[in-house]
Amino acid sequence: MRSRRGSESGRQDRAETPEPKRSPRFGRSRVHDSLTAYTFLAPFVVIFGVFLAYPVFYSLYLALHRVPTDSFDVFGGLVFVGLSNFAKLMADQKFWWSVLMTLYYAALIIPTGIAASLALALLLHNRLKWVAVFRSAFFMPYVLDMLVIGIVWTLIYSPHVGILVRILETVGITAFSEKGFLGMPGSAMPAVVFANVLKGAGFGMILYLSAIQNIPRSLYEAAEIDGASGWQRFRAITLPLVKPITLFMVIIGTISALNAFVEVYAMTSGGPNVDVGGRALGATWVTGYYVFDTFYTQFKLGYAAAMSYVLLALTLIISLVNRRFLRSEV
Amino acid sequence: MEAQPGIAIRRALVYVGLTLAAIVVLFPFFWMVITAVKEPGHAFTAEVLPRHPTLDNFRRVLSDFGFGRYFLNSVIVATTAAFFATLFASLAGYVFAKKKFFGRDKLFGFLLASLMIPGMMYVVPQFAIINAFGWMNTYRAMIVPHLANVFGLFLMRQYMMTIPSELLEAAKIDGAGEWQVFRTIMVPLSIPIIATLFLLTFQFHWNNFLWQLIVTNVERLYTVPVGLALFRSQHEQSYTLIMAGSCISVLPIAALFFFAQRYFIEGMTMGALKG
Repeated sequence: MRSRRGSESGRQDRAETPEPKRSPRFGRSRVHDSLTAYTFLAPFVVIFGVFLAYPVFYSLYLALHRVPTDSFDVFGGLVFVGLSNFAKLMADQKFWWSVLMTLYYAALIIPTGIAASLALALLLHNRLKWVAVFRSAFFMPYVLDMLVIGIVWTLIYSPHVGILVRILETVGITAFSEKGFLGMPGSAMPAVVFANVLKGAGFGMILYLSAIQNIPRSLYEAAEIDGASGWQRFRAITLPLVKPITLFMVIIGTISALNAFVEVYAMTSGGPNVDVGGRALGATWVTGYYVFDTFYTQFKLGYAAAMSYVLLALTLIISLVNRRFLRSEV
Repeated sequence: MEAQPGIAIRRALVYVGLTLAAIVVLFPFFWMVITAVKEPGHAFTAEVLPRHPTLDNFRRVLSDFGFGRYFLNSVIVATTAAFFATLFASLAGYVFAKKKFFGRDKLFGFLLASLMIPGMMYVVPQFAIINAFGWMNTYRAMIVPHLANVFGLFLMRQYMMTIPSELLEAAKIDGAGEWQVFRTIMVPLSIPIIATLFLLTFQFHWNNFLWQLIVTNVERLYTVPVGLALFRSQHEQSYTLIMAGSCISVLPIAALFFFAQRYFIEGMTMGALKG
């Protein structure tokens, strides 16, 4: 954390200066101040309460209930079922498979995302013309819609006539021609990850770039005098000093991987199927997609709510472990 | 420190690296545009530059397939939502930055903690709430649940803390009420962060596909991403049309990014660099 504070801009430093001394009228104006404060806060807090705080509890309530089949009357028709949704979930192979696929997805996307971001940042950390243009070009996909980007990639990844299999055919690789990258269990998840890494790398790139720019040049110069090679300087100076960014990337990477939905919806719909002990399970069947499928396609609100609660627990546990584990090394 | 030729080679290598990276990162967008201007049925020709480029796909998705309406819906939803989300965040940000009131720090910590909760968690209960309110298939349903933007509140507060409190005191001595202070001092001095948050929330709502899909099931209310996803499921092979729809879907955000990239980049990374 120490070095992250070092990277803060001047504006932030000013923000941390203590507020001016209380005016003599403070005592009298305190109640008045509180009243105004609550008035100004009201719209935000009311919406937060109804749509962000209450749902966390309401979701638990839903998780303990079942919507009778074919009923859209969510409130009237709920049947209390105790913990049976959770019990069912614990025995649901498809759910544990989805957790496994989510972890697989996270294990692929977090390191590759970090590597891509760091590589782009290192490339941009050069005093060259056009650097600003490249920086914008790399960042732009991050602001665009994952759904659209996923749809474009389904076109690029298409079997037989897709542009990528055609390019590979010219160098003699035909392994993907028949089914396409998204149609084969082995390549589907890496293909989804690849598309997503290209979209998201610009974000981490900016974070790494500003961290790298804050490393004093004198450190590198001293290392150079001591005869350290470029790789050694990277390992011994750059990597340790950008560690807070890496920690941050792992934490938000975990949260977004556990949330992964749109990329899967756009590209694979959870497929293609693989045979696991006699059951057909999707090679990209992540938990976020299972929640969506349970709730939107099958309309099992209670079961989906229970699932999202387990997802929340997983997120919190993993974030906590990440924090402990990585912070001890900083 | 190195000899001149070494620097020149290094520089050339960096340019090669940057160019290759840019080609890979931007290829999907290039291919999207190229496919969108191909003639129907030619989606999978390998021509990098189509021999007979046409804008007919755009005309068809806009007039024959309702994308004009979807576009209008997206504009309405994203603009309204961005306006109110920014307004609410700046009102709340102002008091968190400048007022002392009972429970301030606890409340702020509580609000920030909610950022750890995965968004998927909210989908089911929010949908049930919208249903209970009878808001299904309304603009309200798409907009209101996302108007409390905690990240935006954080940005606002951080920025507003840098505005000297003496200015506010002076205005109060001159007899300005709270609302006047907010409107005539805080807002004008916070324009950069207000613009940033407006752009970020606009972008968020323009891309808020999952939620918009869930709370609408009538075509006249579809936003562009929802319309695009459902169009694709009905016309799976019409890739030239799908890509034209995709272009329409990303164009507004790409244009905004082109003109206001500084706001996007700073706004999106500010929280991470300061948190």
